[in-house]
This record gives sequence, structure tokens and C-alpha cells, in this order.
Amino acid sequence: MQIEDVWRRQAPYVLAALLRGGRPLADCEDAAQEALIAALRQWTSGGIPRNPRGWLIRVAGRRLVDMTRTDTARARRELRDAYTSEQDRPTGWADRTTDRDDSLQLLVLCCHPSLSAPAAVALTLRAVAGLTTEQVAAGLLIPTTTAAQRISRAKKSLAGARFGPVAPAELPQRLHAVRHVLHLTFTAGSSAGAGPDLIDTGLTRNAIRLTDQLHRALPRDAETAGLLALMLLVDARTPARTEQAALVPLADQDRSRWHRDQIDRAVILLEDALPRGPVGPFQLQAAIAAVHATAATFADTDWAEILQLYRMLQDVAPSPAVDLGAAIALSEVDGARAGLAALEPLLRQRPRDHRIIAARAHLLEAIGDAEAAECYAQAAALTDSIPEQHYLHTKAAALRR
Amino acid sequence: MKFIVLIHSNPKPWAHPTSDHTAEYQALPQQTKDELGAHWDKVFGEADANGEVVYGCALGDPTSSQVFHYAGAPVPSDGPYAEGKEHLAGFFVLDVESRERAAEIAAAFSCPGDTIELRPTMQPGCEA
Repeated sequence: MQIEDVWRRQAPYVLAALLRGGRPLADCEDAAQEALIAALRQWTSGGIPRNPRGWLIRVAGRRLVDMTRTDTARARRELRDAYTSEQDRPTGWADRTTDRDDSLQLLVLCCHPSLSAPAAVALTLRAVAGLTTEQVAAGLLIPTTTAAQRISRAKKSLAGARFGPVAPAELPQRLHAVRHVLHLTFTAGSSAGAGPDLIDTGLTRNAIRLTDQLHRALPRDAETAGLLALMLLVDARTPARTEQAALVPLADQDRSRWHRDQIDRAVILLEDALPRGPVGPFQLQAAIAAVHATAATFADTDWAEILQLYRMLQDVAPSPAVDLGAAIALSEVDGARAGLAALEPLLRQRPRDHRIIAARAHLLEAIGDAEAAECYAQAAALTDSIPEQHYLHTKAAALRR
Repeated sequence: MKFIVLIHSNPKPWAHPTSDHTAEYQALPQQTKDELGAHWDKVFGEADANGEVVYGCALGDPTSSQVFHYAGAPVPSDGPYAEGKEHLAGFFVLDVESRERAAEIAAAFSCPGDTIELRPTMQPGCEA
């Protein structure tokens, strides 16, 4: 689907060009979507124009002018001229600089801190990633009407927000919000699972693409590089993670099926970002994933290094998931009994957390404790992931045989 | 994360909102009714504005249902499905960031005469 690829690539720049005219986001976004519909109709029969971005800006600009109830002919002409000059902007080095600014400014706008996270995710997918509302809905496993509602409400809330450069003092906080939304988009994609679609509507792919865009706009931002590396590493393992709808644990995965090129790129990103410090949570999570990804076999995993990285994460960004990771790493370094002891306080805090219970089941199995089967069954009852549940039931059944 | 809020009730007559038609709710002083109503409006209104409410549906009278048992072939009979004290009266699908948030919204549905059940929905994938 070539037209769709062109659209995905051009969508943020078309929208940015419209926004520079000073019109509200809601109108600009509607006009951009109408230009897409026109493109699908005309390009299918007539072919893709040589300058697709110029074509899209011209068509969307016209729609926008038509939508705008401008009273005087002169004002309408001026608006039209603005989009025409936008369409004819020369390409070259200077243009690429603007592209980077555009995608950054657009991400910062759509991940505005005044929006709820789900609203920002939906809006970003449509306005920056160029997905249709139907594709956003399919990716998030929600009805199209719900996705449409989230997007239109988000646009309405941003009616007064300004499109333009962010003040340097504000940038770190705004970037934090952008990374949070991109990471949520990525994890939402993992939960939704890979669809059989030939057109890639997968949220994980789009989250990687947007984070890559952000990284290109801000190549010196270490946490953005860290987030991109983390996504690449996690995604690299996807082909080996499930086998006939069942989860394959890291220890049993066929490592030759991992995307080696993505792992290599992530390692380069990290080697560049980490020494610059201060080291943030995404860089640390990526560093942990990189230790796993670069071990030739599960037995070769440098667990001491992983444990140290988890300890750093506990300082920088403590969370139950991080504590669990540290306990598992400890069990590999000091043995299953040390791991079980470390899980005790976590389980007291979160007695229904299936991840903690599953980790406990693994360690109980390792020391030959008969309670392991019951523990696997308990975790199976609490997870909301079908492949994970399948895996946990299988483990419980094998121990009971 | 998606959850379903199930409202179990037995209003007489069968009508919605169910709470308005249960003896337990009707026995409440007006002030308590107002407080419960205002709390639900606030919590549900916020959740709806956040885009956390995916879908909701009120169900028809349980006696209007048709039940199919399979005995070599589907055998239809008239409902209700269960002889219990309460019936499934309606449901809401939530899409929220955590179980805690889902519980917060579900709790706002709770009122005398109704039993609210919160259940997670299963996801086809798994978090990495």
C-alpha cells in the first residue's frame, strides 16, 4: 500500500505546514485528513505526484480556507497564498532542519500535559503517525466511536494551545510527557498483539517510528535515545516470544530469530548516550535489555551486570516492576532461595500481582518445592494476557503430572 | 487495560437506573441519595471525559431473555438464565491505566440494592 506509506511519511509535515498558518489544530487536522481521502481517490488512478507533500499541502490548504469563515476576499487570498508558498518551499538541507523542528513541535503539542494519557496516545497516532481513526481504534482494541471521541476531545482541549517552538526552559518537562506517551503507545501495542494485517497498523511499529523521529530531531537527548533503544530491543525479540499462541520465556527463546540489526542499532545508540549522563530510567531499562540481547545464550547472561542496573533503576525510578526485576536478577546471582526471600516483601505489598507470583512459581520449581504448581495456577488466574495464561497453565499441568 | 463493570441487581419493576427501583435504595434518606448521585456523576463524568469509558449498556428484563442449552442441538427456552436473587442488569467497558483506577470507577457504581462486579478482560498479546 504505497499511497499509505507516502501519507504516513508526509502527515506530520502537512499538518505542521497548515498549523503555521495560525489556524486551530482541530481544523488543520480535519483538513489534512480530507487531503488524505482526496489523495487515496486521485493517486490510485492517476499515480503518486512527484511532490506529494506539496500536493497534500495545497489540497489541505484549500479545504482549510473553505472551512474558514473569513469575511473578506482579501483575507481568503492571503491565507491561500500562505499555503501555496508553503507548498513550494525549496527542499534541501534547510528544509530537513525544518522537518525535524516540525515533527518535534507536533509531538510536543499532541502530548500536551493538559491531556490525559489515552487522549494524547490517540491524538498522536492520528495527527503525527498519520493513522486513520479506524486504525487507531484497531491498534488500541477500542471501538471506532471511542477512538473518534478521544481524538476530537483532545483536539478541542488543545484549541488554545500554541503550535511553535517550545521555550528551552520548558522543553525537558514537555519532552518527558512526549516520551511517556510514546512508551505507552509501545506497551499498548505489545498487549494488543501482532495482527495479521498486511498494512502495518501495529502500535509498536508506529511508536518506534515516532520515537525515531523525535531522536532525529534531538540527537543529543540521551533519554530519547534510551527510549528508542529500549523499544528496538524489546521489539527485536518479538518473533521468538510466542510459539503457536503460547508465550516462550526468555530462557527458551530461539535467539537466532531475534532481529539482530535492531539490536546492533540499539547498542550503538546506548554506547553513545550512556556516557553523557545523567542516566535516566529509559537508558537503564534499555541497558538491561541490551545485556539480555547481546548474550549468546541464556546461560551466558551477565546477571551481575543486570542486578547492578536494576539497583540503579531502584534509585532513579523505583517501581514494583523494578523491584521484581531486581529480585529475579538476584536469584540468578545468589540463587533461588535469595530470590524467594527478596520476593516476600513485594508479594506482601501486591498479593495479586501475577508477575510476582509467576516469578515465585519459577523459583519454587527451581528448588523443587511442590507448591510451585499451585503458584503457577494462581498466576494464570490473575494475568490478563491470553498467551501468558496459556504458558502458566502448561507449567502448572506439567508439574502436576 | 480493559475491565468490565457488571451491575447485578433485581429492581422491581425492572428499570434503569436499577438503583431507583430497589427497596434498599428507596429506603435511603434523600440526602444520602443525593450524595451517592453526585459522587457517581463526578467520577463517571471524569472517566468519560478522560476517554476511559469505552462502552456501556443497560440490559432488558431477565424474563425477556431466551436461553439456549445444547443437547445434541441448541434447545431454546424462556429465561431468566439463573434463578438467583440478582440478575445482570447492565455493564460498562473501561479502558484505564491500572486496576486501581478501574476499582475507583467501579466503586462509584456501588449503592444499596446493587452488587457491582469488576472483571479484567483478556488481551490477545502480552507485555514484553
